[in-house]
Amino acid sequence: MNLWLSLAWQSAWSRRFALILVTVSVSVSVLILLGVQQLREDAKRSFSNAVSGVDLIVGPRGSATELMLYSVFQIGRPSKNMGIRGYEDIKLMPQVRWVIPIQLGDTYKGYPVLGTTATLFTEFKSQGRGLEWAHGRAFGNPLSDALAVNEVVLGAEVAAHFGHQINDKLILTHGADGGPEDTDHDDHPLVIVGILKPTGAPIDRSVLVNLEGFESMHQGWGMGISPKALKSAATALPQAQSAVDLQPVNLSAVWVGLHHRAEVFSVKRKIESLSRDPLMAVLPGVALDELWQVVKIVENSLVVIGMMVSVSAMFSVAAVLLVAMSGRRKELAILRAMGASPRALMGFVLIESVMVCFIGIVIGYAFTQCLILIAQDMLRTQFGVMVQPGLPSLQALISIGALFSVSVLASLLPAWRAYSLSLMDGLHPPSV
Amino acid sequence: MPTSHALHLSRLTHAWVDRPPLFEIDNLSLPQGQHLFIQGPSGCGKSTLLSLLAGVIQVQSGVCEVLGRDMAKLNQVQRDVLRGEQIGVIFQQFNLLTYLNVEANTLLPTRLFPSRAASAAKEWGSPKKQAESLANSLGLKTSLWRQPVNTLSVGQQQRVAAVRALMGAPQLLIADEPTSALDESNQMEFIELLLSTAQRQNASVVMVSHNPKLAPRFDQLFEMKSGVGE
Repeated sequence: MNLWLSLAWQSAWSRRFALILVTVSVSVSVLILLGVQQLREDAKRSFSNAVSGVDLIVGPRGSATELMLYSVFQIGRPSKNMGIRGYEDIKLMPQVRWVIPIQLGDTYKGYPVLGTTATLFTEFKSQGRGLEWAHGRAFGNPLSDALAVNEVVLGAEVAAHFGHQINDKLILTHGADGGPEDTDHDDHPLVIVGILKPTGAPIDRSVLVNLEGFESMHQGWGMGISPKALKSAATALPQAQSAVDLQPVNLSAVWVGLHHRAEVFSVKRKIESLSRDPLMAVLPGVALDELWQVVKIVENSLVVIGMMVSVSAMFSVAAVLLVAMSGRRKELAILRAMGASPRALMGFVLIESVMVCFIGIVIGYAFTQCLILIAQDMLRTQFGVMVQPGLPSLQALISIGALFSVSVLASLLPAWRAYSLSLMDGLHPPSV
Repeated sequence: MPTSHALHLSRLTHAWVDRPPLFEIDNLSLPQGQHLFIQGPSGCGKSTLLSLLAGVIQVQSGVCEVLGRDMAKLNQVQRDVLRGEQIGVIFQQFNLLTYLNVEANTLLPTRLFPSRAASAAKEWGSPKKQAESLANSLGLKTSLWRQPVNTLSVGQQQRVAAVRALMGAPQLLIADEPTSALDESNQMEFIELLLSTAQRQNASVVMVSHNPKLAPRFDQLFEMKSGVGE
């Protein structure tokens, strides 16, 4: 090994306790910076992956971002519905390959309930892959099988969270808040017929029922009050209703897949000009971009905070090493007496501070990856964000590079101090 | 100027900024291989003189020739190289790098300057062998070789410093009160061993000390007076 490198290492090792603390502070700041950055990138990626298979999202006119958020991510709730006729019109368009109706509003112990059709299971793609069954099958078609109204399919996470199995029965809650017991659909228990494999998409967190099943739970409800609460309505609900009666009149949204993606704009225009219902068709990518515009300020301020923490850590390294220089005057004078030039001593000190920062950055990076590995599950289940440990992205590399440059700049302070001290002290450092 | 002089000083003065000159040396020559004892009260500029001789500070006025080189004409880097290759330095105390063991401390000059390693290898076979030979003649047990330096007594540390300063057979040894941290009986013994070992390598010695009792062992005595400009 190079003499100066090995001397710098041995010198640093003799002061290892202080230097380890400094290294840790660098690591932590790198952790903050890279953690924020990776979360941001992964959040964006998992959001775009979740909508990657849908060409158009159709809903009542309003905010495109809102429509995408509630229909795809089940974040927030629709303020108004679209009529079922719009859905039927779209279904008949020749360019349309598939349509998936979405009905929202109920929850199951905090998880959103999605009323839809079995088309979802065959056509919906998440991260480029279709849905797969862990157990069971899709719910049946109530038009041909009356019992299918009571069938339910669970997303992987819902099933795992409650340990539900095929044939278990569930009772859904009306509305999103899981309010008083009265609003439970306990007059309408559902049977689990299928459980999906994990996809990483929000569907993992969904409870999927037939549109007709969704509707049947709400029959007899008025103004959000359960029929059970309406004491006057003593007459029992008819046990078996005709599936045709259960056709919903409203939908929250419709996902549309096209034969050819190139036709997306013409289909969008066509849908928006349907005369029966004022509809809006949204390209998921465009809506996501709008969403990123909204969160950009928060996002940027997080990055700036991370940057500032890191830069301040780098300068605290410089400060600690600068203070330590006074204690190293003898060491410098000894080396100087042996013919080491002030410039060589400057390099000698520079090696140490650069090494501290470098090791700090490497540990910080490794630390970030470990933490991501640990928090992976929690982030996926709680926030639906798929994070993946791995090699740094280009942006992370740029941050690391910038951080390292700052650290070298900061390291010049103690190095310059070593230079001037060794010139000033010569062979006679003040005895400490 | 004959190059057989280790030192040749003439009308050499030095002053720190905004201060009167510390000293003025009219004429001082030391033939190669001879030992010079410099004496003088505190604050008369002894240490400054040594710094000039070692090339750590720049000559301001007068002639300062060290080992045949005019120090005034050498730049910082050249003076550092001259010191590294041809001069050994011993301080009063704290000569050693505490994070290296005894052996690594002694071998440092030969690792910093290949020419020193070469001359050690030429005479003794290897730098390590020279270090052992020097340790032997300075009364330092090689059993201490692997020890961290802070486990050594001050006397032992000064011997290690002497070994290091003489590694690679430098032509000049500069010692700044090397015995002042030692007790009386050790002082004499240390000087005896240092000078005889230096003699064996034909190294000139310039030593500053407060203790006039050590002077008789030297070939030349130079007395510095306090504050010529005051």
